Amino acid sequence: MSNKVLTIKDLKVKIGDKEILKGLNLELEEGKVHVIMGPNGAGKSTLSKTIVGHYDVEVTGGDITYKGNSIIEAEPEDRALEGIFMSFQHPVEIPGVNNTYFLRTAVNARRTHLGQEELNAAEFLKKMRVLIEELGMKNELISRSLNEGFSGGEKKRNEILQMMMLEPEVIILDEIDSGLDIDALRDVSEGINKMKDGKRSFLVITHYSRILDYIKPDYIHVLKDGQIVDTAGPELVEQLEKEGYAQYEEK
Amino acid sequence: MRLENLNTVDANTLLKELNASSSKLEEAEAFLKLKAPSKKSEAYRYFETDCIVKKDYEIVTPKESTFSSDKDLIIENGKVVSAPSSVTVEIKEFTQTDKEHFDSLYYLSHIICSKVIVISINESLAFNIKHILTTQKDQLLSYRVVVLTKANTHSTIYETIDDKTDQSLVIGGYDITAAKDATVNFVTDRNYSKSGCIVFSNSYRVEENATFNLYTFDYASNNALTLFRAQLQERANFNAKHLLYTRDKAKSGTVSQIIHRGQSSHSNQSTKNILDDNSRGIFDALIKVENSGKYTVAHQNSKAILLNEGAYMASKPQLEIYIDDLEASHGSTTGQLDKAQLLYLQSRGIKVEEAKKMLILGFANEIIDSIDNKEIAEKVHASFETAYYGTPKIECMQTCDTCL
Ligand SMILES: Nc1ncnc2c1ncn2[C@@H]1O[C@H](COP(=O)(O)OP(=O)(O)OP(=O)(O)O)[C@@H](O)[C@H]1O
Ligand SMILES: [Mg+2]
Repeated sequence: MSNKVLTIKDLKVKIGDKEILKGLNLELEEGKVHVIMGPNGAGKSTLSKTIVGHYDVEVTGGDITYKGNSIIEAEPEDRALEGIFMSFQHPVEIPGVNNTYFLRTAVNARRTHLGQEELNAAEFLKKMRVLIEELGMKNELISRSLNEGFSGGEKKRNEILQMMMLEPEVIILDEIDSGLDIDALRDVSEGINKMKDGKRSFLVITHYSRILDYIKPDYIHVLKDGQIVDTAGPELVEQLEKEGYAQYEEK
Repeated sequence: MRLENLNTVDANTLLKELNASSSKLEEAEAFLKLKAPSKKSEAYRYFETDCIVKKDYEIVTPKESTFSSDKDLIIENGKVVSAPSSVTVEIKEFTQTDKEHFDSLYYLSHIICSKVIVISINESLAFNIKHILTTQKDQLLSYRVVVLTKANTHSTIYETIDDKTDQSLVIGGYDITAAKDATVNFVTDRNYSKSGCIVFSNSYRVEENATFNLYTFDYASNNALTLFRAQLQERANFNAKHLLYTRDKAKSGTVSQIIHRGQSSHSNQSTKNILDDNSRGIFDALIKVENSGKYTVAHQNSKAILLNEGAYMASKPQLEIYIDDLEASHGSTTGQLDKAQLLYLQSRGIKVEEAKKMLILGFANEIIDSIDNKEIAEKVHASFETAYYGTPKIECMQTCDTCL
């Protein structure tokens, strides 16, 4: 039996007055790629927000454990330092905060947390330059303000750059493929594949099977109306593409 | 000498009390008309005026003496210590005061100062002005600087203040003329002392087709106010950007009037305010477009971030317009740090306190990075970080390729 890195048990979450997650169960296995698909508004982004500790969500029941410990009460930064990473569906723009400076602060915070030595400016740049090259990112993007004026695709590439620099252990990708052109999808997918090391776990939220041609999933979960209503192997994707989510209509 | 007592005398007596020459009669009358600052004065309604008018001060006047040649213009308690040889510096009477200023202290300082420091810029150049202020308890120091530029010159002035004043009052200021077709970039970078009270009252004339770019960076934990009146002639450009960081019980900021007098003149004034503790930020700014100011373009904007419940922003952008043919806008926002931005940084493992500082720095950087002269921008980065963190902290914010 493989190791469960992240266990979500009977999770109930409210945003405002509205219950969005209604007793959701999910286990992420070490080294595996889990894909979540589901209709708009089902609660996919809410689930990823809950895992990272977003202020929007209020957990009213259930638990999330990471490496055996509940993280429900943990601050967002502590979850990140422990190795949880989420790429945002809509990354915010932060004018005046230099992209490189931000990322170096983040990387060194994580390294310090792990008891590693901080990277100095030169080491950091060297490492980052290799990755931006691989990701096909424009050089000037790293000296600009964080995400400010970035195109949709540039923002997504920047999320992946952060992921690769931070070397997290659980990676949640919320619609990383939305709005990417063909080349960007390939670059981003290759970046994600490079992160696979048999230990890292992935939670890939997507509406399209296209990205799954690059990133081979181990499990497909269907999230509908705040619950996981189906879990199967990669073969489920084809069936979903054909039949949509109607098959999960409440009886 | 208690300034509020000056309100009740006539102009001649006022000049006598201040040991001023009778040539200042017009200024004396203007002062009496506007009256010494009080809660009732329009210009000082948000400021702390007790430290100006309700204390007995002894007026100290800068002694005249020779000065050496140095790369910086250094002015110590109103006395020129050194000056760059590229500019002409003279200590002399100045009669072309602004006759329409809205601030009584503008006139008072002109009355007190029988002579002013006149800097004549005859060629395109850049230099620094360093003020050193060490006035002590109950002293009132007043001195003024006049900057005259020659037509078609392009000059950049970077001004700093080494402020060690203590329980004193300093009333100073500039009269600056950007001559026809000239460009003046004036960057002022001021980290005020904890216990002095400082008022700068300025007058700017932006002549035909001239450009005046004003940047003010003010870090205050006590009472420090800048007032200015800018008058724009035909096709003149006036751009003002203000960054204010206040803490403790400071009351600080900018009170200004931008007057569009000539046709097709442009102004753009924006301010960013970071207010901590129980401090108050002031942005009380009027843009006036006169009948003669057809095709004016005027924009004004104020943003404030409150870091503490006790902090307060008095933001009053105002437009006074007498014509139809123009483009104008103004706006003002006050709020806390953006939650979504904060979460984004935290979700990358940056502790919330550090993340907040990063956002504040980002807020300030937007203004600092808009300074064209990168050498000056670097200095301002360092001064802001010193004021904000206590030390210059960020070794690299924007020019990563060069400084890494
Ligand atoms: N901040 C919010 N305030 C109010 N309602 C919200 C908020 N965030 C999410 N919701 C609601 O919660 C529900 C679930 O939203 P969520 O973003 O999790 O859906 P999703 O499955 O990610 O959808 P999509 O596929 O469109 O991205 C939706 O009905 C949405 O309107
Ligand atoms: Mg979503």
